[in-house]
Amino acid sequence: MLQLFRDVYRYRELIWALALKELRVRYKRSVLGFLWALLNPLMMMIILTLVFGSIMRFSIDHYAIFLLSMLLPWTFFSQALSYSVESVVGNAQLLKKVRVPKLVFPMAAVVANIINFLLSLLPLALLIVVLRFPLHWTWIYLPIPMVGLFLFTLGSAFFFAAINVFFRDISHIVQILLSAWFYASPIIYSLDFIPKKYHIFFRLNPMLYVLNGFRLSIYYGLLPSAGSIAMSLACGAAAVAIGFGLFRRYQDIFVFYI
Amino acid sequence: MANPAVRFQNVVQSFRVIQERPDTLREAFVHFHRRKPRSTHHNFEALKHISFDVPHGTTLGIIGRNGSGKSTILKIIAGVYRPSSGSVEVNGRIAPLIELGAGFHHELTGRENILINGLLLGLSKREIQRLEPAIIEFAEIGEFIDAPVKQYSSGMYMRLAFSVATAVDPDILLIDEILSVGDAGFRVKCFERIGNFREQGKTIILVSHDAEQIRDFCDRALLIHNGELIADTLPEEALARYQEMIGHHQPRTVSALPGR
Repeated sequence: MLQLFRDVYRYRELIWALALKELRVRYKRSVLGFLWALLNPLMMMIILTLVFGSIMRFSIDHYAIFLLSMLLPWTFFSQALSYSVESVVGNAQLLKKVRVPKLVFPMAAVVANIINFLLSLLPLALLIVVLRFPLHWTWIYLPIPMVGLFLFTLGSAFFFAAINVFFRDISHIVQILLSAWFYASPIIYSLDFIPKKYHIFFRLNPMLYVLNGFRLSIYYGLLPSAGSIAMSLACGAAAVAIGFGLFRRYQDIFVFYI
Repeated sequence: MANPAVRFQNVVQSFRVIQERPDTLREAFVHFHRRKPRSTHHNFEALKHISFDVPHGTTLGIIGRNGSGKSTILKIIAGVYRPSSGSVEVNGRIAPLIELGAGFHHELTGRENILINGLLLGLSKREIQRLEPAIIEFAEIGEFIDAPVKQYSSGMYMRLAFSVATAVDPDILLIDEILSVGDAGFRVKCFERIGNFREQGKTIILVSHDAEQIRDFCDRALLIHNGELIADTLPEEALARYQEMIGHHQPRTVSALPGR
């Protein structure tokens, strides 16, 4: 873990440049360019609001905001993972020719998506104001679930990027895993709909605690319990320890398999 | 500096032969299921117990046929491969001119690529900003520097890559058959720059098929054959033994353009 901080600090300029490169390439050749990072989530939010606000009515008040409070962090997680799982293999040409620190590739993929995610919070705040939903003071608590979320994503990114070098099936499996995981997490529904006896299974989901932190502070205006906060940070730290541990152990032989 | 710039001691580099490793989970499961050991592959030894020293300030040539292990040596020095056994010591900053422009992204402009490539080569952002004007000038790119590199001619592309790679002020320069690059005028400039490095007492390691380059540039030459070090001697002598080995009928090889 300490090693990771040292490496990240040492290569911070490279990671940042690669992350910006990824975003720049994503939005290159489009007329609106970087604005898409804001427009994309905004459009999605407007559609969701229309669908759930007027067409399908749920028993949940302001369902769009209820949904978005967890959907935005989830989208970040799933996009960052989809990008980073291919990040080592995708840079094969480079890795075979020059000595580069391998950790910068999954790292840059995650950082690029962090920027995207933070930008998507702006349209959310805008939507909340427009819908006259209260903009809770608990937003200032958001950095804590964010730390948990970013750590968990980074750990998973290292984990799957490393395995994908040896088994290319992983990138397909990750896609399936992500969609199963999405429905297994209470994102489009609330845990209150689920009979109490099943809650134990939901608690095994390491993403639950982090996602909960987002929904509580954005939608309910509440703070999670100390136990839940601790769990969300612990899941993040554990993911990094396992994911980066695996990545570091095998990074020297990546070059022979790509 | 008492230590040599590069020291190889008993270096062995083996590769798994690529078709026989399980590439997918299915294959891995099949192997597991049949209780076959996963290591049904055979190892190919690209380098067999190679030892040599390169003192600081030496220009060393490496010759040998295709597939003899020359480029593997350069890649080990560059840190791309970690050798299977033996020890490698490298003292000094390396500029690998192995595959020029390997880190270039086609959608990005020349200037953006200078930054990323420089960072990949281990420079800091500040150093790159300081070096940028000199890099652009040497590459003779002109106003194209702010156009995406996919619009560059292959000559411009190589010039920019060479310019970035040599701007890092290396102690050790690794060159793999790249000097057939660009037009005659630019080649002269490249050789001039490499000549300058030599005069400054930098270490240069050059892989080439071109007998003239080896003869003109190098103080010493290694002859590699099938992963074994056949000779570590003066360039003339190594070249003579190489000629003998491949037979006199071999036409002078035109070194291939490096692929991207």
